[in-house]
Amino acid sequence: MFFVILTVVFLLGLLAASITERRAEIASVFNNRKVEIPELESRSEIWGVNYPREFETWKKTRNMDFKSKHNGNVRIDVLEDRPAMVVLWAGYAFAMEYEAARGHGYAIDDIRNTLRTGSPTTPETNIQPNTCWTCKSPDVPRRMHETGIANFYSGKWSSLGDEIVNPIGCADCHDPGTMSLTITRPGLIEAFERQEHDIKNATAQEIRTLACAQCHVEYYFKGEDKYLTFPWDKGTTVEQIEEYYDQAGHVDWIHKLSKAPMLKAQHPDYEIFIVGPHAKRGLSCADCHMPYKVDGGIKYSDHQITSPLKNISSTCQTCHRDSEENLRQYVYEYQDKALEIRDRIETELAKAHITAKYAWDKGAGENQMKQALQLIRQAQWRWDFVAASHGATFHAPVESQRILAHSLDRTLQAQLALQKVLFSLNVKENVPMPDISTKAKAQHYIGLDMKTLIEKKEAFKKDVIPGWIKTAKEKNRLVDRI
Amino acid sequence: MRLLVNNLNIPIKFVLPLIFFGGIIAGLGAYIFYMSNAHSYLSDKPSACVNCHIMTPYYQTWFHNSHAKWTNCNDCHVPHNNVFSKYYFKAKDGLLHSTVFTFRREPLAIRARHESSNVIMNNCIRCHMHLNTSLVKTGMLTFTEAREGKGKACWDCHTGVAHGKQSSIASTPNAFSTPLPESPVPDWLKKAMSN
Repeated sequence: MFFVILTVVFLLGLLAASITERRAEIASVFNNRKVEIPELESRSEIWGVNYPREFETWKKTRNMDFKSKHNGNVRIDVLEDRPAMVVLWAGYAFAMEYEAARGHGYAIDDIRNTLRTGSPTTPETNIQPNTCWTCKSPDVPRRMHETGIANFYSGKWSSLGDEIVNPIGCADCHDPGTMSLTITRPGLIEAFERQEHDIKNATAQEIRTLACAQCHVEYYFKGEDKYLTFPWDKGTTVEQIEEYYDQAGHVDWIHKLSKAPMLKAQHPDYEIFIVGPHAKRGLSCADCHMPYKVDGGIKYSDHQITSPLKNISSTCQTCHRDSEENLRQYVYEYQDKALEIRDRIETELAKAHITAKYAWDKGAGENQMKQALQLIRQAQWRWDFVAASHGATFHAPVESQRILAHSLDRTLQAQLALQKVLFSLNVKENVPMPDISTKAKAQHYIGLDMKTLIEKKEAFKKDVIPGWIKTAKEKNRLVDRI
Repeated sequence: MRLLVNNLNIPIKFVLPLIFFGGIIAGLGAYIFYMSNAHSYLSDKPSACVNCHIMTPYYQTWFHNSHAKWTNCNDCHVPHNNVFSKYYFKAKDGLLHSTVFTFRREPLAIRARHESSNVIMNNCIRCHMHLNTSLVKTGMLTFTEAREGKGKACWDCHTGVAHGKQSSIASTPNAFSTPLPESPVPDWLKKAMSN
């Protein structure tokens, strides 16, 4: 009896020990790493030691090797292609320079080099706040932790030039201990809280979209402190966000020609994606933008986040049984058809701004102009919501066309309202239209001195930026190679 | 207690040792139940299958494949003709898996056994019934018949479904089981936001 029980307990003990041991193997996966990654480690090169495959593909976000029919990962000077946009943004920094986005690896280079951040050789000459850095780097959470969130936003852009030095990387989305996806930007969490949603309830699949929605959304810099805020309190459609801005009395800038109180859409990628067919069927951003990749016998998600058209066989064809060529053509068809309407809007909306200026010059009064200027604001907000959103016309083709249709409608209504103003002023002749057929001509027309702006920027790049990089290296914020 | 002892006719000198050793066995049993997350096996949740970490690559490859949106592990890997055969097969398969896992006999590439293949193929046919019985006739046979040369198994052609083409327990070294933390918001940010 004793020996029987002894054997049973012994075997049970062995089994228990074995189970414990095999459960502990999970922990050993975490422990057997080459380096320990501290919390808020912003240098992706350190993470890369432990996760070489993900790191190597992430580095490829600096590749400029793919161009689809309309975009890709290369530089495209959008203002050169669409000079009417210069007129649409007259009086706003976007009229100086606007390029199609490159990969995450260029986030820091591009924000330093764009004319939109100006050439602040002294703190007073800044034209942008620190808030502009928010989505550019894993150094941002590190700084927010050090100085507090509101303090981070409120400074001048150039004050963090030597602090924010690593391009969008590992720490922006991953927990250093478990590699789980995390939300490191307060804007998204705050927006969820105001809508009484708890981000904790998001599923694993939803987090694979929300990690991107920390940045790929519509937002604005609220108040004097430039606190980054998502305008989602009434909902996330183009109309609901507009209603929010209208109620808050928010104006991004007063248009230089038409004096309309304008809104600038940022990049409402998430807002448009979630109403599209792929989101409705439960897909996340990562499903198509970070497909599984096979490297020998190892599978991992591709961290070269880019257009899924670059790699149709591992993106679209995971679900769609159709040829690569057909799938590509479906996408181009959506894009081409939306662009037909977008082209019309840009032509007519530029005319509306120019006509409004003409009416002012002819002595129009503020009350007379009010309705037309509101229509211009509404038309351009809708146009921008689609034009600024990455991939909108594919993510949600029907919603994009709906928004563009309303934009064109309001554009023509604005023109009609302006005609009435002109008639009441007894202006019978046609409004003279300037030559805005190239970027240079359009910029000249709106009164931009591009030569000086570019010269100043070149001097800034030569005199200021190398100092930022030097300090960052001395303070060990930057790993020497990339 | 006394009544129980009297009724079972257990000599009084055995009572104390019985309680003692019985307690040890029950305690160890409870420990095993707890450590192996045993209750989770009654559910259909895929997270139960990754209690064993060697299932992680199979979980992850399913999660990244087209079937993840519509199916969980049990939809394909246990029979669905009736509830008894479902749990009978599940218990049988589960005991086999736990035995193999305990004795560290797992192969580097886990393949379905013949019996398991039959179940999987029946499940392919069950969901894709309309497609493979009325449009084409590929669903009119079992896996066993396919292996006898009377036709093909579904995955003879659809090689990438549902886990991709490669199969290896070492294939996803950086994917850790079910990746859901309690909160995706790191502690430092919670603190910064409450300030």
